[in-house]
Amino acid sequence: MSAWKYKQLTPKIIVSRLRLINSKDLTALCDKNFDAIHSMLAKTPYHREISDIPSDKLNSFTLESSLTKNFTRTFSEIIECSPKGIGSLLSAMQMKFEADNVKTMLRAKQANLNVDQAMEYIIPVARLNELYCRRKLESSRNTAELVEALADLDYGKILREAIGENEEPKPIQELETATDRYVYNRISKAAGKLRGLDGKIAKTVLGLEIDVVNLKIIFRCKTMGLEEHRAKKLLVHSSSVFEEEDVDKAIKASDIKSAAECLLAAAESAHARDHKYMLTDLLKELESSEAVSQLEKALDRSLLKTNLRMLKRYTSFFNIGSVLAFLNLKWFEVRNLRAIIRGTEAKVPADKIRKLLILPS
Amino acid sequence: MSVDLTLIHPTRLELLRLRRRKALAEGIVDILKKDYDALMIALFELVRNLPSLRQQMREQLNRAYGSFIEAQMITGQKKIEEVSLTSEPVDFNLEVSARKGVLGLTLPSMQLNEQATGVSHPRFSLLDTPAQLDESIQEIKAALNNIVKLAETQAAMQEILDVMAVKRRQINRIEYRVLPQIDAAVHYVELILEETERQDAVRVRVLQRKRKERMQKTLETPT
Repeated sequence: MSAWKYKQLTPKIIVSRLRLINSKDLTALCDKNFDAIHSMLAKTPYHREISDIPSDKLNSFTLESSLTKNFTRTFSEIIECSPKGIGSLLSAMQMKFEADNVKTMLRAKQANLNVDQAMEYIIPVARLNELYCRRKLESSRNTAELVEALADLDYGKILREAIGENEEPKPIQELETATDRYVYNRISKAAGKLRGLDGKIAKTVLGLEIDVVNLKIIFRCKTMGLEEHRAKKLLVHSSSVFEEEDVDKAIKASDIKSAAECLLAAAESAHARDHKYMLTDLLKELESSEAVSQLEKALDRSLLKTNLRMLKRYTSFFNIGSVLAFLNLKWFEVRNLRAIIRGTEAKVPADKIRKLLILPS
Repeated sequence: MSVDLTLIHPTRLELLRLRRRKALAEGIVDILKKDYDALMIALFELVRNLPSLRQQMREQLNRAYGSFIEAQMITGQKKIEEVSLTSEPVDFNLEVSARKGVLGLTLPSMQLNEQATGVSHPRFSLLDTPAQLDESIQEIKAALNNIVKLAETQAAMQEILDVMAVKRRQINRIEYRVLPQIDAAVHYVELILEETERQDAVRVRVLQRKRKERMQKTLETPT
């Protein structure tokens, strides 16, 4: 393990982590009104994005966007001071946000939105900055033309393949799934390229994240009663812990509990203890509620727990664990703030908002 | 409530006919009142179910909107709005048929049928949306079923109320218009018949008196 290559990244992560809003303050925010939340956020690292919002346009919608913008900016700053290998993994992870913009553009074209309307949904990130997105939206009249216009990026090729040769109109969900699958595949490959402790941590954390995504999709398909082969098409790239037949078994399982038990058995035989913890927590949650929303929350909590466990298991510094943990903590902070802002605006009781928060404790 | 008495023949036959008509009208009123009571009972049964249906619908809608707001809280309003741009609409078909209700009344029967379109693929990206959105959709569908049931109940109530109004009008018409007219006519015929009887009696007495006088004259006259 070379600590030298982390000379810029580790201090940046430590400082950024110290600037995260603590759980106590976050919980206290649930009782505040919109103005109080806005003034509190103006004193945090979000102030730069929040101050860009014109006062006449300040609402929960714009505040939410500013939080996501802050996250993408922080992400880019971390990539900039990351060593090469980690930088490429983080860039692959950043593609999730690029993919969001690709999907947004596809949806905007499908819904025949004009360029300005479409741009309201776009959060500029990395290669898909504001100018690029605007140009692509302006130069295309429909989804097929947009796919052609995106040919200069890898997304264009993937979408072209998803549309297929016969060019029959396909449901937009298939294009969205193809984009997501490509991005998670890239993340998995980038994690696989890392060596040593970084590789181990990245494979565990990101593998778990990918499996969480798949589990959520399997559970929802089961609730919807979607056919097995159709459900399988919606899954993203699987981690190294679960074999294809394990996932197949989970999809074919009669109910959510049996699906989780199938995967737990697979995790045990693969000696993947973090997956085992995650699935054990999930089965515990299943005993109290079978609602998929509760299971999703348990899965998200497990993901955060795994990130923090990596910090305890290995050192908190000079490895990718701290970076991934910070990024997850930051992402959940943005998600929690979003929940608080929207919940307060919709006059949701404070205790209900608190139940939706994913806190590290 | 006048009746043109000149059109009535003041005869005993007419009196008997009028009395038969009165008995018939009273029988009809009796039947109509029984129908009215049966309709009232059916209406009360529907009214009794109404609050629980409304309550169920309100609870389902509250849960649906609650789940929807939770979905917005988790994913963000922008994302939910964006996803909704391309999500396929669910087609519902409302089948309205007729069923036999109380007193053989034709009441509307409504059935909400969802056209099975969303089985081949989800209506929106599962990766970009939380499960709360599915739960909200399920609750909305359940609430829609209750809304249709509520509409069916209200339509049945309206139908029963309309029939009740007609029955009430018929009862009132017979009780306050037909029966008094018949009573007046009976009274008139009875009066006329009594008058005729009196005149006949007087005429008989006069004739008897004249016959007596004629007989006396005949006896007094020397032959």
